[in-house]
Amino acid sequence: MDVKILHKDDNKLRFQVNGISTPVANALRRIMVNEVPTMAIDEVVVIENSSVMCDEVLAHRLGLVPLKTDLDTYVLPEECKCQSELGCNKCSVSLTLDAEASDSIRTVYSGELKSANPDVTPISDKIPIVKLAPSQKIKLEAYARLGHGSKHAKWQPVSVSSYKYVPEIIVNRRKCDACGQCVEGCPKGVLDIKDERLEVVAKEKCTLCDDCEVICPKTPSAIKIKNVKNAFIFNVGPTGALPPEQIIIEATKILRKKSKDFTEQINQLKIARVKKKTKKAKIKKKK
Amino acid sequence: MMVPVRCFTCGSVIGDKWDELNKRVKKGEDLGKVLDDLGVTRYCCRRMLLSNTEIIDEVLKYKTTRLKSSEDG
Repeated sequence: MDVKILHKDDNKLRFQVNGISTPVANALRRIMVNEVPTMAIDEVVVIENSSVMCDEVLAHRLGLVPLKTDLDTYVLPEECKCQSELGCNKCSVSLTLDAEASDSIRTVYSGELKSANPDVTPISDKIPIVKLAPSQKIKLEAYARLGHGSKHAKWQPVSVSSYKYVPEIIVNRRKCDACGQCVEGCPKGVLDIKDERLEVVAKEKCTLCDDCEVICPKTPSAIKIKNVKNAFIFNVGPTGALPPEQIIIEATKILRKKSKDFTEQINQLKIARVKKKTKKAKIKKKK
Repeated sequence: MMVPVRCFTCGSVIGDKWDELNKRVKKGEDLGKVLDDLGVTRYCCRRMLLSNTEIIDEVLKYKTTRLKSSEDG
């Protein structure tokens, strides 16, 4: 198995993995969405709210604000030793919001949330939470906890997590007369004609739609689209709670743990079966 | 009521782009180009910003007396 990073910026990571099967690729994708824990506001105690937005909507908006997550210091509430409803400082972080409009209408932004831990803060200070008219006031205390995307989408570390097959474009040079019909037919601009010769100019954009194959006037067509076996291009768009590399590393860790647990369970079943068989054999012998 | 924090479909954060988008479009920049520039490339996220109306600005005109009335009993 080898991994190659194709593109990386603040809100996108594209990488190619060779030598894994489709089930493994899909397991990795699903774990990235559902199982990698992140921090999000889970409970809100509203002390005062005289804004036009009701408490529930306010709490929901706060919950959706992604928080920078530190997976080394915090544990999931269900795995925490404290087992208390309110949580301890190992499984929850409190954030407070205290805002008031004095003489003009103003917007309260996520940057005004004051966190008890300076490492757990909103990823952006510019997310609007609510608007306040003069003399309106908001005062609340929020508790952020780790959680899984399978329970609520606010805990998803990624917005987009997808994979596609790696395209392979084969042009039969003897048949192709560079008529250019496939160049016009391609919706992604993968092909081009240079010096009366068909060239693949942007292979990474190919979506394996096969339009060029259908449009080619030659029978059988002079261009063939295939996918490389056991190779995938992943596209990961993090929300900012965790860096993309960490999301993937955590996902592989979880996948490894899950498969280990599964094999252990299978082995236990096998042992139980063998025991049952020997017991039966002993009874038979006695008879 | 207000601009949603995240895209309903894909879940990427778009709320923080609303203010800048509004400011730049009012200056006369092309809406589509500003969206591209802000990194809002998927059409699910684009429609979130394109179709948003800040109804809260209308509601805000009517002062809430919820808290006061409860205090008065």
